[in-house]
Order: sequence, then C-alpha cells, then structure tokens
Amino acid sequence: MESMLNEYSFEELTSEEGSHLKKTFNAFKKCLDHMIFKPAIPVNLENYAVVSNQAVPSTGPMGNKTTTNSTMLIAKVSHEIRTPLNGIIGFTDLLREDCLSKRQLSKINAIQSASNSLMEIINELLDYSKLSSGLGSFENNNFHFQNVVNDVVYLCDTLITRKEVKLKTKIDPNIPKVLLGDPSKLSQVLINLLGNSIKFVEKGEISLNIKIKKRDRNSIYLEFMIKDTGIGISENNLKHIFDPFKQADQDTFVNYGGSGLGLSIVKQIIERSKGQITVSSALGVGTTFKFLLPYEIGKDKDMVKKEESTFSLDEGIKQVKNMGILVFEDNSLNQKLIETRLKSWGCKTFITDDPYTGIAILENHVIDIVLMDLRMPKMSGFEVTDLIRQNDNQNIKQVPVIALTADFTAQNREQCEAHGLNDFILKPYSPEELLSKLINNSVSGSTSKLVCGDSPKIDLTSLLDDCMGEYELLENLISLFKQNAIEFIGACCIHLKNKDYEGIGFASHKIKSGLAMLKTNSLLSIVEKMHDLGKNGTGLDELEKRYTAFIIEYSIIEKALDIEMEKLGNIK
Amino acid sequence: MDKKRLLLAEDDELLASLLNYRLEKSGYQVSLSNNGKEVKDHLAKEMPDLIISDIMMPYFSGLELIDFVRNELKSKTPIIIISSAGNEENVLNAFNLGANDFISKPVSPAELIVRVERELAKNQ
Repeated sequence: MESMLNEYSFEELTSEEGSHLKKTFNAFKKCLDHMIFKPAIPVNLENYAVVSNQAVPSTGPMGNKTTTNSTMLIAKVSHEIRTPLNGIIGFTDLLREDCLSKRQLSKINAIQSASNSLMEIINELLDYSKLSSGLGSFENNNFHFQNVVNDVVYLCDTLITRKEVKLKTKIDPNIPKVLLGDPSKLSQVLINLLGNSIKFVEKGEISLNIKIKKRDRNSIYLEFMIKDTGIGISENNLKHIFDPFKQADQDTFVNYGGSGLGLSIVKQIIERSKGQITVSSALGVGTTFKFLLPYEIGKDKDMVKKEESTFSLDEGIKQVKNMGILVFEDNSLNQKLIETRLKSWGCKTFITDDPYTGIAILENHVIDIVLMDLRMPKMSGFEVTDLIRQNDNQNIKQVPVIALTADFTAQNREQCEAHGLNDFILKPYSPEELLSKLINNSVSGSTSKLVCGDSPKIDLTSLLDDCMGEYELLENLISLFKQNAIEFIGACCIHLKNKDYEGIGFASHKIKSGLAMLKTNSLLSIVEKMHDLGKNGTGLDELEKRYTAFIIEYSIIEKALDIEMEKLGNIK
Repeated sequence: MDKKRLLLAEDDELLASLLNYRLEKSGYQVSLSNNGKEVKDHLAKEMPDLIISDIMMPYFSGLELIDFVRNELKSKTPIIIISSAGNEENVLNAFNLGANDFISKPVSPAELIVRVERELAKNQ
C-alpha cells in the first residue's frame, strides 16, 4: 500500500485540503515507520497528531524493557495509528467535494479505499489484541435481542451485491425479548460470520438460524447456526481456521482481502462469553458455523422506556432526503449501520470519531443534524458538543445535536441539557425511531426537546378572562380553532401538491392570529416559517418538513387543549 | 341613546368572534365582515360610527380600505387598525393614509374597547 500511496502526486492537488492531506499522510507514514522499526522507543506522538491539534494521551511506559507484552503494544499502536488515519479519511472526504478533475478524483478514490481497508485492518488488530491481552471489556446490559439481530441482518443484506445470493433468517419466537449481556459483541460475532459467508458465496443461500438450546428460570442458552453454500474450506485448512493471521491460503487474501483476524476475534469473544464455536465444511458445498452463547434473561422494566413512535417510514424518508447529517461514532459496526441506513434514505452522511475532523466537516458542509455517540475514546460526546456550541459560526453553534446512547439515566438527561444537546436516541433503535427524531429535531431548530419535559401546557385562563369568564364562549373559540387547524392542514396539503406558494402563505397567515391568541408558540413558530417561505415562493422541501411538523405538533397541542378545557370546566 | 354602530373587518374567525362578543357586551352594535369586498359594499351602503379593520385581509387590504374610506367616500369615520406584530411599516402607512389608531396582535379585547371609546369620544 505504501508504494501505491507514494505514486500519488499530491502536488496536483492545489487546495488547502490537498496540502493538509499530504502533511497528514507524511506524518502518518513517519508514525508507521517509527512503530515498525523502532517500537522500543516511545514515540512523541504530538509531532504526528497534525490533524487533531489535540494532545494525544500519553502512551505510557511502553518503551520500558519490562513491556514485553506484544499484544499490549499492538493495542496501543493501533489506537495511535487511528488518529492520523482518521484525518486522512476525513480530509479525503472533504477533498472530494472540491472541483476536482476526473484524474484527481480517481486518485482520491484510491486513497480513500486504501485508507478504509487499512482502517478495517487496524480496527481488527485492535480488537484482537484487546481481546487476547484481556483488555477488552464486556458490557452486561439489558438489550432487545431481536432488535440487535435485525440490525445485523439489515446491515448484512446491504453488503450483498450479487443478486443470486439470498440471506434468510429464522429466529425462535420464544426467545425472551430482553436479554442481559453484551449486544455489541454479539453483533460483532454475527457480522463477522455473516460477512464471511457473504464474501465467499457467489450464488445460493446464507441462513441464520437461532434456537433455544437450554432454558432455566434465569438464564438461557442460545444456539446460532450460520450456514452458507459458499466455496467451502478444505479439511486441512479447517484445523487452523480460528488461528490469528491465518487465511485458507495466499489466494484467499489476494481474492478476498482482509486481515485474517476475523474468525480469531469471533472465537475469542465467544469463549470469553463462556460459549463455544464449531465449524464444519466441505469444499464446493459450503460451510456451517455453529455457536452457543449463554445469556441471563433480562428484565423489560430495567430498560429505559422508549418513546413510542407512530411514524410512517415511507412518508418520513421523503422528508429527510438530502438532509446533511454528521455522525460522531467510534464503533465501526455502528458506523456502518448508521451510514448505510442514512445513505439509503438519501441523506448526505458524514461519519467520524474525531472531534476536529467533525468540526471541519461542520465548517465545510451544510449539516442539518448532528448525531452524537456519548461514549467515545478521545473525547466524550458531551465535550464534543461543547466544542460545537462554542463555535463562532452561528449556524454551527445552533445545529441540533442528538445523543446516541445505550444507557440513559436521569443524570444523563441533566447532563445533556447542561451541554446543549437537544434530544437523545436509545441504542439499539429502530429505523422509525431514528427517522422521527431526525424530522422532529430538524424542523424545530435548536429548541431543546429535553427542557420542555413531557407534555406542553396550555394556559387558557387569560383567554377565559378575555371572554369575561364565559366558558361557553371559550368552548366555541376552541372548537373554531380546531376547525381552523384542520382546514389549514387540508388546505396546505392541496397547496403543497399544487406547489401553490401563495396559497400556503395565505393559509398560514389566516391561522396565525388564532395561534397567537391561544399562545401555542410551538405551532406559531412553525406557521410563521411557513408564511415566510410561502411569501418568498421558495423551499418546497422545507415547507413540507414544516407541514409535517405542524401535524405532529398539532396532535399534541390538541390533547393539551382538551386537558386544559376540562380543568377550566371543572373549576366552573 | 342609540347604540353606536361598529364595523369589524377581521378574517380570523376566532379573533372576530371574541371581539364581537366583547364589543356587543360593551353595548355596541357590531357588523362583522371577513373580506375586503364585503366591507366595501357595506361601507358604500352605510357608514358606521367606527371601523375596526385588520391590515391583512383577503381581496382588499386594510390599507386599501383606509384609502377607500378617506379618498373615495370622503368620510372622516374613525378607523382602528389591527396589525400583526412586526408589521411596523404597514402601521406607518396606515397612519399616513389616515388611520386614527392601531392595536397589535394578539389583541386584548379590553384594550380595544378602551381605544374604541376614546376614538368615539373624540368625535362627539
């Protein structure tokens, strides 16, 4: 790869990013050289972290004679390599947006695919060394089993490029909904095995079958079987299949790539989870992996309650199309998952785990929403959000930020508020949840969903005073208001279809004073935007987004109105 | 004493019915209209003692209404304008065309009634 990269003439890239990329790449090469040839001398990493401008955490006394644990070294080294590599990938992404010639673009593409595969190898190396040195920690959380498996299957489906390959799943419906264990390790195992099958099957079927092997009152043994009709593995090679850095033969590497670590990682994870894995295979017929994993049965009530979303996926996708979304996420599986999902919806998606690369993306692109993993190695999601909120550019400062998190407590909620996060999504999440959060947060700007609490309150006492205490009059006004709102929704639907901006401007003007009278400010601000857009005669997409927001918000307001009316009625 | 006749031109039903109720309670005879064309016909037939009009209305704006009353009908009937917040420019135009007073949304009925009384008192 080094020779490949050396062939690129960076001089052809004239832009600032070009020179930055070159600098980063050279620093990266130096760093690599250092790691490879003089691993005994501690590397002064600050010289290399040109991209991040941030002090890299000290690598500790890894140059000491006592440090003989090579896997520890690998773990540290791979982690440090990721920083400049992230810079390379991030800036290559940015370069792509510049006006480049075809020749330059094809070179950028080559840099990018080389960097990506290098990143993949480094990630696996990191995982492997962490696991074998006992560094990797396992979570023990309640998780929705079916959701995790569905996410993996969804992701793997998108990896299948050949039409003749089908992925089938069968999951025992009696498996408890919530299990206690490490969901990300489970998805890592499944993705590795399914990903392998996808790589090696040219035609035919891959099946994932999950059964209950044994069940007690508090625990359960699950049997996973992944079967494919791929090229198969010879008996001789089968013996070494779980050994690190072993691939069936040199041809496999040439044809399929990869680090040869995937299966050893799988085996390590399963064994550390007190499970077992076996494999059987016949050349030309296919391969079957079977593994057992024990789980404790989780408690549904321990899971943080998710907000119910009643959202039509098809309707929603139209609204997020072309939305610019920046995701801060360090877990590569989650990165892939969210990237595939967002891209399939037509969002412009950027993913990074480096705070400064992320800020650079915010500065160079129109980003409508930031999704923020709260737990990241270099900087927590809270700290990255602070950076965003402190930015000088108003647009960047005010971008809605949604937290992505697996465990969310009341304390987290307070922290989110304090750091200016707007909302949160619990992992694992369904596509519908993600979609509805994106839509809700993109239209209401940076007004926090967290601050306003559960349901909006409507105060009609002053309006009742205006009615001189006549409850019947107030009732009339409210029913008029409801009628107007429904008419507004209907009228806008027609106007949007006809692209009748004037009609929308007029309809929104008409309902404005009623909204002001009832002090429904959330609806009022949506309608005011619609009014402006309608008057200017531009932004149909934007209008549609606000229109949907109005409908969602109106249903909430209507309920609040009824509650308030009942309250006032009782006083009377 | 005869009830004073008011014309209320307001296209927002909610606001119109609240104001109508309050004005009638205060002893005025109110004619309601929700569009400019109707207002024009009404005024040509019969001039009320005072006109309350929203600036933004379909077909015929509040500004056109003032112009029509002052320049075509040559009437000095007091006109109170209801304007949306942030529409200062229109309020200025309204005064230039001959409006007597204005009140901005959200309208407080009590305040409107005070303004109506004041305008009517001036004219006596």
